[in-house]
Amino acid sequence: MYIIVVYDVDVKRVAKVHRFLRTHLHWRQNSVFEGEVSRAQLYEIKRTLEGLIGDGDSVLIYELPTGNFTLHVIGTDKNPAGEII
Amino acid sequence: MKKAYYITQMGVLERRGNTLFFENENLKRAIPINSTSEIHCFKPVSLTSGAIKILSEKNVPVHFYNKYGYYRGSYIPVEGQISGTVVIKQAEHHLDPEKRLYIARQFLEGIRASMVALLKSYEADYSHIREVQVEGESPAELMGTESGLWKEFYGIFASLLKHFEFNERTRRPPKDEINALISLGNSVLYTVALSEIRKTYLHPAISFLHEPLERRYSLALDLADIFKPITVFRVILRLVNKKRIRKEHFDRDVGVMLNDEGLRVFISELNSELTRKVLHPRFRRNVSVRYLMRLEGYSLVRHILGDSTYRPLRAWW
Repeated sequence: MYIIVVYDVDVKRVAKVHRFLRTHLHWRQNSVFEGEVSRAQLYEIKRTLEGLIGDGDSVLIYELPTGNFTLHVIGTDKNPAGEII
Repeated sequence: MKKAYYITQMGVLERRGNTLFFENENLKRAIPINSTSEIHCFKPVSLTSGAIKILSEKNVPVHFYNKYGYYRGSYIPVEGQISGTVVIKQAEHHLDPEKRLYIARQFLEGIRASMVALLKSYEADYSHIREVQVEGESPAELMGTESGLWKEFYGIFASLLKHFEFNERTRRPPKDEINALISLGNSVLYTVALSEIRKTYLHPAISFLHEPLERRYSLALDLADIFKPITVFRVILRLVNKKRIRKEHFDRDVGVMLNDEGLRVFISELNSELTRKVLHPRFRRNVSVRYLMRLEGYSLVRHILGDSTYRPLRAWW
């Protein structure tokens, strides 16, 4: 499945969440990650994030069927995702 | 579904923040290690010891190619899937001439079926391919039949190309544009086959059609051959006929090779063909072409364990 993760956490924990999400997903722009994951990976991401965040923090995970969506970019695409580097 | 990453520029792979980073003067990109199946490097890439450590932990192989697109070698983490029983049985099927011949012949049937599938989709005449007798009393004879099959196939393939000349297959180094594309595509397919075989219990060096040579995972050659017509050759036809690969995408010295731009076009198209999902008639779900390579491995495992008889892939898409 394809997921988009958006987070709004206390500045003390931003780096931690960022560092963790980078091991599974593509960083798109500040506080936004996306990528294809397995169900097991999604479970692990959820579980780890629960441990990382604190009071008042919020993380949203959008699950999309197969990356079946159109992306409209306005301004600059900070970090285009792709497997060809 | 984990993804393969293809690096088409020089740089360094290192470990930072518990994941892999690719870095050079112009670019810094994080590679999500938990979502990576393997990494292909087409340009000189250095690996730091930290990178090797995390690649080993996550069991991600790194494959290297030279400038003509030939496979140069891999960093392969310590084997993850080991089964003595399967390896012994596999060797037994290799050593017994009759058993080996059966599997080798099936591989040939698979290659032919894929050729027919491709030619059919381009409405080409495949009757000559159909007529080639898949016979032979030894693997060497079968290899002879195989090269005859490919020769026949190259001829028809050449007539389907709307641009570029393709007269004969030349290698090491490739002498023209189409040969350069075939060489690169075959190398990538070979390493992908290797990566998929490593996920089964099969030993990648014990082969049936090809002779097991030193320093070559020849089972990957066996398996890759079945998929060549429907992946590599399909992608070449599409890119050339739609003029997405043109003369200016190649460089020439002793041989012919793709330049950076051409490499990116070709690799991304090949990758999307490999990850393309097709509906599996028996599983009733969509599986990628790449995964079908692993399924061939699994059905080979079942064959050598005596659970069911190996029948090669018949491409249906």
